[in-house]
Amino acid sequence: MRDRRKVVVTGLGVVSPVGLDESTLWQNMIGGRHGIRLLSLLNAEEFKSKSVAEIDQTLLAAALAARQMRPADRAGDLATLAAAQALEAAGLAGGQEPVAKRVAVVIGTGGGVSESVEDAYRRYWEGGLKGIRPTTIVRVINNSISGNISIKYRLTGPNFVITSACASASNAIGMAMRMVRDGYEDKVLCGGTDSLFSRSLFGAWDKIGAMSKNPDPNRASRPFDTDRDGFVMGEGAAMIVVESEESAKARGVRIRGEICGYGESSDADHFTRPSSAGQAAAIRAALDDAGVRPDEVGFVNAHGTATEANDECECQSIRDALGNAADDVLVASNKSFFGHAMGASGALESVVTLLGLENGIVPPNLNLDHPDPKCTLRFVPGTATAIVPPVAIKNSFAFGGTNAVLVFRRYVQDHGGK
Amino acid sequence: MRCSSFAGMCKTTGENKMTRQEVTDKLRALMRKTSQKQVDWDSVAEQTEIASLGFDSLSILDLIYDIQSAFELEFEAEEVAGVRTVGDMVTFLAGKLGSASGQG
Repeated sequence: MRDRRKVVVTGLGVVSPVGLDESTLWQNMIGGRHGIRLLSLLNAEEFKSKSVAEIDQTLLAAALAARQMRPADRAGDLATLAAAQALEAAGLAGGQEPVAKRVAVVIGTGGGVSESVEDAYRRYWEGGLKGIRPTTIVRVINNSISGNISIKYRLTGPNFVITSACASASNAIGMAMRMVRDGYEDKVLCGGTDSLFSRSLFGAWDKIGAMSKNPDPNRASRPFDTDRDGFVMGEGAAMIVVESEESAKARGVRIRGEICGYGESSDADHFTRPSSAGQAAAIRAALDDAGVRPDEVGFVNAHGTATEANDECECQSIRDALGNAADDVLVASNKSFFGHAMGASGALESVVTLLGLENGIVPPNLNLDHPDPKCTLRFVPGTATAIVPPVAIKNSFAFGGTNAVLVFRRYVQDHGGK
Repeated sequence: MRCSSFAGMCKTTGENKMTRQEVTDKLRALMRKTSQKQVDWDSVAEQTEIASLGFDSLSILDLIYDIQSAFELEFEAEEVAGVRTVGDMVTFLAGKLGSASGQG
């Protein structure tokens, strides 16, 4: 049995509609500036849902060009850009030609390389067998996302993707944390990516009835609000370098926070309807894993999709898992900024949680004008709010009944042996 | 097989024939579109090695796919296994196109 090692964060990277780097994202969020706009990547006329959180095409093109990358697959490109930021921040990339180093790559994605898949089928339907590109396989396998990052930066640890819909990134971060904590790896690049703005997939989401039809981008995404009418589709990628504290200290890199717990469960009930029993079980498991009491948790970064089904159920789950401590804990959903970035959401929101703990302040809940009376929690208001306690949790709940919860702790430099 | 259905494909040739220079220019444009490498394309000459332009064993397959569709040609990838330079490829394509460009 290996000893448990303390797991810290040494690099962050984000590519999102709220900012294409950590600093821009944080300034925008603290200032209450969200990333939701009218759909422009597709013909908005064709869809019932028109408010989306899409990444600005000009900014994305500039970010790719700055790294001499040609657009390939959107979800893959977002992942590689975020990975580059995180690796550079952790001192594991940048400067010269990359040299081989032992770093694992674990990336969550719901839709994977869906843009490439749609393109491959289009070529096949239009051109038959002759229309199939010789490189179709390497373009449409979802682990091209992690494989390309491993090759580009010469990261020789294991690389793979995890797919569990909206919990993908939180599952990936949790798995990465365990790999380091249990001594299998010293460093893991983990996170999530998703972009579902292909006509076929967005069309499919448009039909399932879970997306907001509010045409006003400033008001469409309203988690926990009485007037919510569904989630706003988002996209993006966020990556985190997790590392053993020992390794980080030996390398002398800046430590941004600690990941101290991970809990998971399945509802084993219904594919899309959430269950508070399943969710609360995951929250309890995460706190138990971290050795944290409910009253030590200062902030819950909720899944908070703004669907009728999620928000009420999640509030019940938080109450069930935290008990009386639920009266005091601050709750927010970052989806009023990002929309729902699907498999990337857990990673984007984990980055925000880490930044919140580090800065002692969390971004507001936008559009929470009239909290749902069934959601009786202490919500962060419409302005950025201070958080004092050093522990926060991040919930991610997914279609398929998958629940993943992460526990983060503010890192105090010279933390001693605790 | 060639210059049949795609409008505009053979506009520059007039008599369904491309000069060697036209084949070279068209090939260079396709390479530029497909390559993942930063290359000074103006300095690419017939003796330039295709491998030096950012094509490896995988991406060369995409280049061949693009060539087949742009030139409206069908051939097996094995047929260009011996092709090393841009000039080799131009000669191969010119032969397939049956144009006078093969003689240079």
